[in-house]
Amino acid sequence: MRRERFEKLVSAMQREGIDGLVLLGTGAVSYATGAAYPGCDSSRSVLDRPVAVVAPGEAGPHLFTSLPDIAPEGADGLVHATASPECDEGAAALAEFVSDLFPAGARIAFDDVPHPLRRSLGSREVVAAAGVLGAAKICKTVDELACIRRAQAVNEAAMLDVRPLLEPGVRQTDLTAGFVRRIFELGVSANCIDPIWQPMPERLAAGPWTTHGDVAFPVGSTDAFLRYGDVVWVDTGVSYEGYASDFGRTWIVGRDARPTPRQESQFQRWTEVMGAVLDCCRPGVSALRLCRAATEANGGSRPWLPHFYLAHGVGTESAEMPLIGSDLGEAFDESLVLQPGMVLVLEPVIWDDGAAGYRSEDIYAVTDTSWTPLSSHPFDPYGIR
Amino acid sequence: MSGDTDLGLLAPRDGGRVDFAELRSQRRQRLVASMRDDGADLLLLGRPSNVAFASGARQLWTSGFRPYSPGCVVEAATGRVHLLSTWDSGVPAEIGHEDLFGLTWNPSVYAQRLKAAVDGYAASLVATDGWSVAGEQIVLAAVPEAQVVDATPILRRARDNKSPAELFCISTAASIAESAMSVLAALLTPGITGRQLQGGYAAAIASLGAPTPPTEAVAWTAGDPADPAGRPVRVALDRVLRAGELVAINPGAFYAGYEAGVGRTFVVGGTRRTGQRELQERCREALDGVISACLPGATGADLVAAWDSAGVGPSRDVLARGVGLGAEEPVIGPGRGSRELLSEGMVLSLEGWAAEEGVGGVLEQDVVAVGGDGPRVLTRYGRGVGGS
Repeated sequence: MRRERFEKLVSAMQREGIDGLVLLGTGAVSYATGAAYPGCDSSRSVLDRPVAVVAPGEAGPHLFTSLPDIAPEGADGLVHATASPECDEGAAALAEFVSDLFPAGARIAFDDVPHPLRRSLGSREVVAAAGVLGAAKICKTVDELACIRRAQAVNEAAMLDVRPLLEPGVRQTDLTAGFVRRIFELGVSANCIDPIWQPMPERLAAGPWTTHGDVAFPVGSTDAFLRYGDVVWVDTGVSYEGYASDFGRTWIVGRDARPTPRQESQFQRWTEVMGAVLDCCRPGVSALRLCRAATEANGGSRPWLPHFYLAHGVGTESAEMPLIGSDLGEAFDESLVLQPGMVLVLEPVIWDDGAAGYRSEDIYAVTDTSWTPLSSHPFDPYGIR
Repeated sequence: MSGDTDLGLLAPRDGGRVDFAELRSQRRQRLVASMRDDGADLLLLGRPSNVAFASGARQLWTSGFRPYSPGCVVEAATGRVHLLSTWDSGVPAEIGHEDLFGLTWNPSVYAQRLKAAVDGYAASLVATDGWSVAGEQIVLAAVPEAQVVDATPILRRARDNKSPAELFCISTAASIAESAMSVLAALLTPGITGRQLQGGYAAAIASLGAPTPPTEAVAWTAGDPADPAGRPVRVALDRVLRAGELVAINPGAFYAGYEAGVGRTFVVGGTRRTGQRELQERCREALDGVISACLPGATGADLVAAWDSAGVGPSRDVLARGVGLGAEEPVIGPGRGSRELLSEGMVLSLEGWAAEEGVGGVLEQDVVAVGGDGPRVLTRYGRGVGGS
């Protein structure tokens, strides 16, 4: 898997006329090197960050880290002490490493350049790495799909154990405690996001206020009590060997609580939207067509949140390309054509003002002819007849 | 801190011990004063901890670091703060709806929204806390005429010296970290796995209402005996710990965004061998020497010298680093941060590691506030308390 990713990066570099990559973002480093970094606050990730340098002629990617044991096996000679590009000394050393590795005038792409590193690079041209990373990452190999499937399976298994905790008076942070204990016991590498257990208002007018007048989600968790009958939108994500899962369901607080017929019909509508999208999901179809199928199945209005998308990819980032139905616009969606190996986290939202709404997420990989699911989890308490 | 109690359920009703509106206001005043010192008109912040410092907003936590793009704008002339947030949940009242701009995936929409936020505000010098190709395009589209400089000196002056309220938040974070330490110490029995420790740690801090960890890397042992530096290695999740091993545990936690962590070393199964006890005592003494050196006016080099003089071997890469709203500068260790100058109100996490072949490795970590009347240790776990 690491070898295939390295080859994909190198061929994307050649297509884009890039001679080298210097990567500082956690997900990008993980993709380039296979280093599965422990979950970390962003402030720590800045001051103690792993750095990857990719040069096509080398045996593999160079990894700079304070945690040498996170380097995969077989990376001998390519693992270096932490680079510290946040301080002038560290930035100068990294710039010198880059200068030694690549000839003057080489086009080097960076994903992020802290000011000290920018100063150390002097007059060297700095090119964006986003194009190379996007091209390499968008279609997953069989092994990458297996990692996503594994991350998702563990995430789902942990959620089965959390679900019974959803009783009146439970705090969001209590649900988180139950969840994080189980994900580690069951086998993840890291937790990716502070778990979301958001009680949804019946009406938008109840708030939170939003810039676009639509639903606020996901709002960070607190230690407030959840109450009987709260409609709770759940969103969690973990990582396995650097690959993220994405779990989304709608739950109702209370072991005997059931959706009203109106809420149940929201779920039915969500199911119809998912069916309509999957019916046209196969290689060669544009993302715009999926958006139109979803909108048509929802009676003409877009069944997703305006600040998000109908679907997003997942990989070493919890949301990455392909973004489908985002504010990149219809022309972008039309140009985005499904290919085998793309991963779609479909997350339609059915909002029904006065009775909250329904949101769940499921993950599909585009195959040579259609699609295959990477997620499988019950919809309780919805859809039970 | 003797006599202090930490916040509990009744804190909101009883007023708590921190006036958070006042805390945010003080932080913004420090930031704006620091901007004016450097003649910066606008601050365009991307890093979550800087955004939290400037805005006071509680935003969704995600793990790891993402490339720079501006998510918070501070105007020096007015003190006004604009924030990238699609909703007002978690946003303090002093940041109005008119100061919020919504999330977008589209760089040109992003630039338009940023431009609209600062429309009519004259800015010739703009400071940013990061740089990326895409970020620069957004910044230059919003403030095309401005000169862009590094915001680090501005942020350091505003963030380094903590107020008493900030110290109280850090102490509260220490109490959460110490609770996790207590849980983890009890778990350290032969046969326990890295996974069980990790799960126990994550659950312990979450159940106290503080789920997001400074880092999940919480358990360490001495690494390769052939490594001359004897560096610590994170306990792999699938590793089974054996009776008699030295295991270093360093849980951390956040309270109201402020971080603290504590590190101690235990023997799996409980009974220390003589060599282990001696190594631990020497490491403790060495770290206490570094704590004593944490005085206003001391340099990073002074701290490293204090460690070296104890004769327990070289410090690992990081001997001291700032804590506040998460990990902060300075970062001090061999070959790094030697010219950093300590000042009153600075809070440092001091991390001493000593290893010996055949014995194992020992970590002692404490959080220390640099005070005018000497260093004040904010962590307590395992230390003599009660005036001894």
